Amino acid sequence: MELTEQITDQYVIIGITGRLDTTNYMALEKKLMDLIESHHDKILVDCLNMDYISSSGLRILLMALKKITLVKGRFVLCGLQENIHEIFEISGFTSIFEIHPSREDALKLI
Amino acid sequence: MIIFYLYREKLKSIVLHFRFPRLTFLRGLAFRYSLFFLIAILMILFFPLVVGYGTSAALLFIKAQKEATILTDQTVAQFENVIQPIELVPKILVQAMENPAISYAEILRIARDFVSHDTVVFGTCLAFEPYFHDEENYWYAPYTCERTGNLHSRILGGPSYDYFKMDWYRLPKLLNRPVWTEPYFDAGGGDTLMCTFSTPVYRKLDGKRIFTGVLTMDVSLTGFARIVKKVNIFKTGYGILVSGQGKIIASPKATPGDQTIVDLAKAGGGKSTQRAIREMMAGNSGFTSMDGLDAKKFPSFLSYAPVAKTGWSFGIIFPEEELYEDMYSFLKIMSWMFGISIFILLVTTVLLTRRMTRPIVRLVEATRKIGQGNFNAPLPVRKSRDEVAQLTNAFGVMQDELRNYIQNLEETTTAKEKIESELKVAHNIQMGMLPRGFSTPENWDLFATLDPAKAVGGDLYDFFYLDADHLCIAIGDVAGKGVPASLFMMVTRTLLRAKTVSGTPINLVMESINRELCHDNPSQMFVTFFAGIVDLKTGEMEFCNAGHNYPYILGTAEKIHQLKVRNGLPLGIFDTAEYTSGRFKFIPGEIIVLTTDGITEALNQANDFFGEAKLAASLTSLANKNSKALTELLIGELKRFSSGAEQADDITILALQYKDAANRPPESGQTVRLTLLNQVTELEKIVGKIEELSGDWKIPSKAVMEITLVLEELFTNVVFYAFDDQETHYITVEINLLDDHTLQLRLEDDGKPFNLLEQEMGDVFEQTIDERQVGGLGIHFVKEMMKNVEYQRSGNNNVVILTKNF
Repeated sequence: MELTEQITDQYVIIGITGRLDTTNYMALEKKLMDLIESHHDKILVDCLNMDYISSSGLRILLMALKKITLVKGRFVLCGLQENIHEIFEISGFTSIFEIHPSREDALKLI
Repeated sequence: MIIFYLYREKLKSIVLHFRFPRLTFLRGLAFRYSLFFLIAILMILFFPLVVGYGTSAALLFIKAQKEATILTDQTVAQFENVIQPIELVPKILVQAMENPAISYAEILRIARDFVSHDTVVFGTCLAFEPYFHDEENYWYAPYTCERTGNLHSRILGGPSYDYFKMDWYRLPKLLNRPVWTEPYFDAGGGDTLMCTFSTPVYRKLDGKRIFTGVLTMDVSLTGFARIVKKVNIFKTGYGILVSGQGKIIASPKATPGDQTIVDLAKAGGGKSTQRAIREMMAGNSGFTSMDGLDAKKFPSFLSYAPVAKTGWSFGIIFPEEELYEDMYSFLKIMSWMFGISIFILLVTTVLLTRRMTRPIVRLVEATRKIGQGNFNAPLPVRKSRDEVAQLTNAFGVMQDELRNYIQNLEETTTAKEKIESELKVAHNIQMGMLPRGFSTPENWDLFATLDPAKAVGGDLYDFFYLDADHLCIAIGDVAGKGVPASLFMMVTRTLLRAKTVSGTPINLVMESINRELCHDNPSQMFVTFFAGIVDLKTGEMEFCNAGHNYPYILGTAEKIHQLKVRNGLPLGIFDTAEYTSGRFKFIPGEIIVLTTDGITEALNQANDFFGEAKLAASLTSLANKNSKALTELLIGELKRFSSGAEQADDITILALQYKDAANRPPESGQTVRLTLLNQVTELEKIVGKIEELSGDWKIPSKAVMEITLVLEELFTNVVFYAFDDQETHYITVEINLLDDHTLQLRLEDDGKPFNLLEQEMGDVFEQTIDERQVGGLGIHFVKEMMKNVEYQRSGNNNVVILTKNF
């Protein structure tokens, strides 16, 4: 898995490429935690190139969402692939995350 | 009084018993000695007292008897004084009347004179025989009595007063002698008690002496009563005068009446009284005891004597008590004095003995303190040189000795306990270091055990996975036992684990270990060692035997043989030693058994060795068992052999079996099996294999993702939550293509029982990475994405079977 980072003074965009599973979720965890701790409270996670996510990855996203909500920030996802979206549906995460199909839409609302 | 005295003693003992609250006092020396002393004194003083009492009682009795007898006689004499003239006068007169010359008138005149002078006689009568006085009078009895100072005379006799029938006339006539009649109340006048003394009168007529009549004297008995009243002896002693028939004439106690003394005795007295009275009535004189005369019975004495002529009896009665009265009061005083002195004696003795025993009591207290562990308890100081002081000194010496001894003992014990506890810790560390997770791929079976002779041992076994396909097994024996050997052994083990890496030949590993061991080996210890690296896929083992006893191979065809290869010297001898390696290929079904010489050199009570031959024979018989059973049964045989004898050396066994390949189901083209270690990193093998199969089996990408996701979730659950130990475990994943559109997944692990079907998902949104909830979300995916989910618990394994349609 690879992570890309784009930081502006209004928001941060994190891009995930490849598989997010139990062997590599730690990198994402660290990245997100660092960002939140340094007061970046508007984060967009672009999942366009994310082929796979398992429960470990889902937990990291959930944790980040909780932490940002506490500081009244915004945590948004976009570009979920079809299979991935189904995973979010099965797990019920579609009801708690703000998910947008495209980056542009997401940025408008962030 | 005696009773009272006796009771005093009893009372005293009772008082002593209850008044003293401390029972220990009663058991103490002071009390015992005092009591003993007291009893002795009591016996010494009691004896003369008893004797004295007896003697004085006897003396008093004799004195009383004398006194009473004298008084009785005196009183009787007084009676007789009174009686004598009464008898004499008629006697003379009657004598005179025999002479016919004397006229009766003359006689009468004298008699009347007598009556007026005598105080006691108050009447006289001269009664004649029928018609004797004159022919006209049948009865003729001139009678004179004195009343109120004057004489009154009349003639008695008539039909209403037929005096011939009366006793005072009849009896003297019959008996020819004077008679005193029984007392009676004077009915004629006065109501005084009286009796009559009648004398028969005779006349000599015609040469014959014929009875002519009776001359009577009426005697008033009040005079006697006065005499009797005067009788006084002791305090309440009194006299009693009774007639010949027992009628009471005079007595201060009883009113003279018709009641006889015999009646009284019968009514009021007991047998002794009746007997005494009988004696008295018999006219005897004497002194006897009786119980009381009236209704009150108390012991009395009776002194009695007969009154002559009248046939009366006189008795003096006095209570026994009064006789001894003086003696009793004397005794009373004596016993009080006695009692007081005894009491003083007792108190003094008690105090004295307590004084004596006080140092002993103090010594007892001090000794008790010593007994409780206080060896510095101060002993009482004694200035004197007596036995108690000697005892105290001896105690002091003993106390010092005890103190030192205990101190030494404590120090030694503490030191010993310290060593033992540290040994225990060392034992636990050593035992803890032995790997115990015997999980192997399913076509292999491993077991090992180590039984140290002492708390810590010099033997070792070890096994570990270099990677999923390579297992290293090792066994070793340090020359020596106990802590030094075990330390050396731990170093060897550490080196083995450090140096054995994939790819390095085993003999070079051995050389490396050997150099290290020789490097710092001041005590010149060495270790025999055997290590082998087994390729779990091929069944080939590369080994190095450094001076260790040959392993046994239990095979299917040849049954048993030894791997007789030596690749070098024991480790730790020469730092430049070189080692070769050997090769062995497992035939499916074969077991390799590594041992140390603790088995062959085990002794029984007869000092025989177990020996190589016995070991070979035992192993042969156990060839068909699994590794665990084989090991445990061999240990059992060894224990039976050496039963009773102390274990001489550590006993170590490691058994590894390459299972018969025929047991494994063949891998068909439609089945793929992955054997994975319980590490998360193994996940990539699953991912890779699914990718591979997706092409061959034409699985669409969505299904591929789902299958991968499901397998990841289940696999990671097992890795994180199925095992409590830190050991290596094997997890098998099997993927079967049942048909073009159905895939079956089978996951098997040997972890804790866990049935995913029973898990509730719980609140997913509450779960964080840190919470140790068993992957509820993952299981949710499994249930959602798979068509069918089955769980079985098979032996020690969890088996999950999933079916997926695509």
